Formats: sequence, C-alpha cells, structure tokens
Amino acid sequence: MTSPGSAAATDRTALLSVRDLEVRFVTRRATIHAVNGISFDLDPGATLGIVGESGCGKSVSSLAMLGILPQPAGRVKAGQVLLDGRDLVGLSEHDLRQVRGGEIAMIFQDPMTSLNPVLTIGRQITEALRAHLDMDKRAAAEEAVALLDRVGIPDARRRLSDYPHQFSGGMRQRVMIAMAISCRPKVLIADEPTTALDVTIQAQILDLLRTLVDSEGMALILITHDLGVVAGVCERTHVMYAGRFVETGPTTELFARPKHPYTLGLLKSVPRLDERHHRRLEPIGGAPRDMRELPTGCAFAPRCTYATQASWEVLPLLEPTAGGDHRVACHNPVPDAELVAAGLGLGPDADGDAEDDDQWRP
Amino acid sequence: MSVAEAEARELEIEHVGGGLWRDAWERLRHNKGAIAGAVLLGLFVILAVFAPLIAPYGPNERVAGLAATPPGPTAEHWFGVDEQGRDLLSRVVYGSRLSLLVGVVSVAVGLSFGMLLGATAGYLGGKVDTLIMRIIDIVLSIPGLLFAIALVTLLGRGLVQVMLAVGITTIPVFARLLRGSILAVRESDYVLAARSVGTPGRGLLLRHILPNSVAPVIVAATLAMATAIIDVAGLSFLGLGPAEAGLPEWGAILADNQDRLQASPHLVFFPGFAIVLSVLAINLIGDGLRESIDPKLRA
Repeated sequence: MTSPGSAAATDRTALLSVRDLEVRFVTRRATIHAVNGISFDLDPGATLGIVGESGCGKSVSSLAMLGILPQPAGRVKAGQVLLDGRDLVGLSEHDLRQVRGGEIAMIFQDPMTSLNPVLTIGRQITEALRAHLDMDKRAAAEEAVALLDRVGIPDARRRLSDYPHQFSGGMRQRVMIAMAISCRPKVLIADEPTTALDVTIQAQILDLLRTLVDSEGMALILITHDLGVVAGVCERTHVMYAGRFVETGPTTELFARPKHPYTLGLLKSVPRLDERHHRRLEPIGGAPRDMRELPTGCAFAPRCTYATQASWEVLPLLEPTAGGDHRVACHNPVPDAELVAAGLGLGPDADGDAEDDDQWRP
Repeated sequence: MSVAEAEARELEIEHVGGGLWRDAWERLRHNKGAIAGAVLLGLFVILAVFAPLIAPYGPNERVAGLAATPPGPTAEHWFGVDEQGRDLLSRVVYGSRLSLLVGVVSVAVGLSFGMLLGATAGYLGGKVDTLIMRIIDIVLSIPGLLFAIALVTLLGRGLVQVMLAVGITTIPVFARLLRGSILAVRESDYVLAARSVGTPGRGLLLRHILPNSVAPVIVAATLAMATAIIDVAGLSFLGLGPAEAGLPEWGAILADNQDRLQASPHLVFFPGFAIVLSVLAINLIGDGLRESIDPKLRA
C-alpha cells in the first residue's frame, strides 16, 4: 500500500502500525470528518508526540485505536490499526476488551473526572488487574500497592481504601497512570495528561511518564497541544491539522526547521524564556476548519499566508524534505530564510543535537 | 451561621473518610428539616410496630353505643369515637400500619420495575430506549390518580391490589429519572476510563454507571412514599380503597365520615391530620436527602 502518511517503510514490522485511519461522526444533521487518513508506525519503547489544536482529531484517533469512540455517532470509516500485525479495527468487543488495558492503555486529560467517585482507588486499580491478569483479590491488592508506590504515591497501602476526592489533582493523575500501566501494556496513550494540572505538577507527571517509558520499555503516544511537553518527552513529533498529519519528523529537527506554515505558526505563538528581547506572540489568524466537509485542497489554506492557487485545489501529501525523515504536506514549505527571521532556524553553527530543544521544555 | 463556621463545617465534612454515601450522611445529619422529619417518621413507625400496645382498644372494638353524631374528644377517648362506637385514636394508630405498609410496598413495586426499565433503556439506548420511553411517555400522560383508579378497577379492590395499582403508577417516574441519570453518567470520563482498561459491560453498568446514577432516584423514591400514602388515601376516599371491611385506613375513615364534617369534625380532623403529618415527615426527609446527595450541591 502506498500510504502518504507512513512515517517509515511499511515492510518493517512495527509494534503499532496505523494505516490510513479515517474516523467519522455521523449524525442526522451532519457528518463530521474527524480523522482523515492518518498513518504512523510505533516501535517498542518509542515516544511519539501528536500535537495540534483542539478539535483537530488527536483524541478521536486514540479513542478509535481502542475502539471506544462515542456511540452511536462515531465510527472508523477506513484504515487499519495493526498491533503486532493484528488489525484492531473490526475486532469483536470481547477481543478488544483484552487489548484495552492489556496491550494498549490510555491516560486521560482530566484526572478530576476520570476516576469513579464512588469506588475506592484500590478497587479501580485492581479492576484492570483482575480483568486481564486473572489475579485473586489479595494478589491484585498487593500489586496495586506496588503500582501506587511506583507512581510515587506515599503511604500506598493505606491510601488503597481512599476515595478519589481524597486525592489532589496531581495525585489522581498518578493513580490514573498506575491504572494504565497496571497490566504492563505495550503502548501507552497519554491524552493531554498534564493539561488540567498546574505547571509544577505537570513537570512531575512528565518526569514520571519519561521514567516509566524508559524502565518498562513501553511505547508512548503523547497527545497534546503543548509544544513544550512534546519537546521534553518525545523523540518524534507529528503535527495534526483537520484530521491529517501535516508535518512529521524527529522532534529536534521539526522544532528547529518547521516546514509547514501551521507548525511555524504554532511555534511562533508560544512564549519562550530564553529570548533576549521580548517578541510579540503571533497568533494564527482565522478559526479551525469546519470539519463538516472535507476541503479539496489544503485544509490550512484559508489561514495560511503562503497559500497559492495549488493550495486551494490540490491536497498536499506528506513528502520528505531535505531533512531525511522529516516530512511535510505543503505545496509551499516555509523557506529557511523565514525561519531565521522568526528566530527559529538554526544558524550555520547549529547541528541540531538534542540539547537544542531544551529551550522548549516546560 | 457565619462564613467561617460554614467553612469549618465544610472542612470537617470533607475530612471525614469514606465515600459519597458517607459524605451524604454527614450532610444529612446536619440538616434540621431532615432530622425533624426522621423523628416524626420514627414516631409513626413506633406507632405502627407497637400499635397493639399503644392503642387503648382494638381497631374494630365497640366501646360506645351507635350514634348518628358521635361525641368528640373526651378524657377517655382522646380522639373521640365514631358512629359505630369505635375508639378513633385506636383506629388512627392502627391506620399508621397500613399507611406505612402502603408507602413502602407501592414504592418497592414502582422502584424495582422502574429501575429495571430505566436502566435497560438508558444503558442499551437505541431502539430499545425509544420503545420503552415512548410507552412511558404515554403512561405519564395519564394523570396518576386516574391511572390508579383504572388499575384498581382492573385488578380488584383488595389491599394488595391497591398497593400494586399505586406502585405501578410510579414506575414511569422512576424509569425516566434513572434513564436520564444513566445517560449523563454513561458519557462521563470515568466510564470511558473504565472502558479503556477493558472493564466488561456488566461491570461498567453495575460498578460504574448505576452507583453514580441512583442518587436522584433514591430522593424520588422517598418523596414517592408520601405520594403513595396520599394516593391510597385518595382512592379510599373515592370509595376505591382496600375493600376489606373495617380496615382502619386513614383515607377510608375520612371517606366514611365526610358527611359528618359539621356535626363531628373530629372524625375527619384526626385521620386527616395523621395523613398530613406522615406525608410531611417523609417529604422533609426527602428534601434533606436531595440536598445531601444532589451532585450539583456537592463540592
């Protein structure tokens, strides 16, 4: 299959391989084209960031992978989600249940509402353990204590019988992480795991995720609109707009030499601490696309200062740039000179090593 | 209560360990209305349970001669006697047994079927939901008492049939309430999170959705007990109550004596007052419960 969005050669067997995934929400009044053919590969232990603004399809993609799209409107219209070569799309609910939590687990955005208020957290953690690992009650409780310990909840044994409202936001997110990693999934999807937390807690949670990915060898998909978060955690970054990837590549390269005007726009709208003189933040003009109909050309064209006739008429596909693994779906990629002017491009002395993206860390 | 006091109390409440129900209980304990209601209802329960010990005479025991205009309260007969010479106090005390029984049984009937229907409709959704809810809409469009009258005509006039009839009229209320509540909870983040770790459907419904949806139903059930007592009294008053002869049902006592209102007002006043007090007690508790477990009032 020639898949425009595939990040690498398709013959290599990746742990998780998403192929041309399309998700629609069909209601009586309209059809929402939420995800319009995304493809990517994820190796064991890899970290992938997916960034984009609200409503671009980031979260919907991950719900689709797990088969938990909101019903009855949400449906996967096309594409494959291959986990170890097995297609999850169209799998029976029974089989999918084994995958959820067991092989792919997810952390949600708002820890304040993602825990059941009437069950103790011990009960909620052991639920996954007992469902997947067939543990008895006592063994599951022991494992839950160990898990809470791992995610840094002090006095874990005693807190097992506490209810969610007795935990702070950061602690709840730790509990959510403990639940998610309880069955040692191969892939962990973190959907805006730090958005609802304050900045100091954000850093702690990200540290925890980094540590877990390193020690467990889990692959991580980090979904966020926070570029700083991606820069700190992810090896690769995919930028999503209107349900498509518009730019993909190694995080360092992508941040140093953004090729898509949208990526550049995102970078320019983030304040940076390392700047010598204050720069005006530049918002991206216009509003996110109305997803009720698919554009013929580039979805970003209406908001793009570089748009040409071609942008309106021909859908740009992900094409490799000079940077090798760095791909962009744009007819008029941002020229390097522009990057220097924006204070982004690397000077001639820069070599794009990992230290450069430290400036983006939260 | 000053703001500081209120905050201190709020803190105190928050720091109590345990879950939502424990929290609700703490709030309920501090609700004056609910306490008053509980004390009042407690009195009725004591009257009902110990009726033979409390009532000076049997409910159908003749203690005075027949009289067209029976005498009002005296030192010997506190509530006076009725036209058949029975002690009214004793009848009202025994009547509390019937009223409480009617309240509990009819609500139990309505609650069990209502929750079953509501949970099915809310959880399954789609065509099942549409079918169940349209039927419920139709039933709800019939006034409750009218529907109960029709059911009594259909089922017969025994005590059990009357309780069933009143219970059935409450089914749609509970079903609709639970369905709405389930629809909201079903889309909540924690249900999604539970699905994402592979919780099977039954576990989702029983552990995650239902426990978070029943709070409004519990409040409604409490209030429905009061309505059931009134409905049965109303049916009796209309001559459609339990047909068992001499049953000291409050509504029946009212109905029997409505034409003696002027000459012997005590015959109507005391059973009427008993109905009002018991319904008030239950409503106070229901309102207190609503305040203590309503999610909107929860921090």
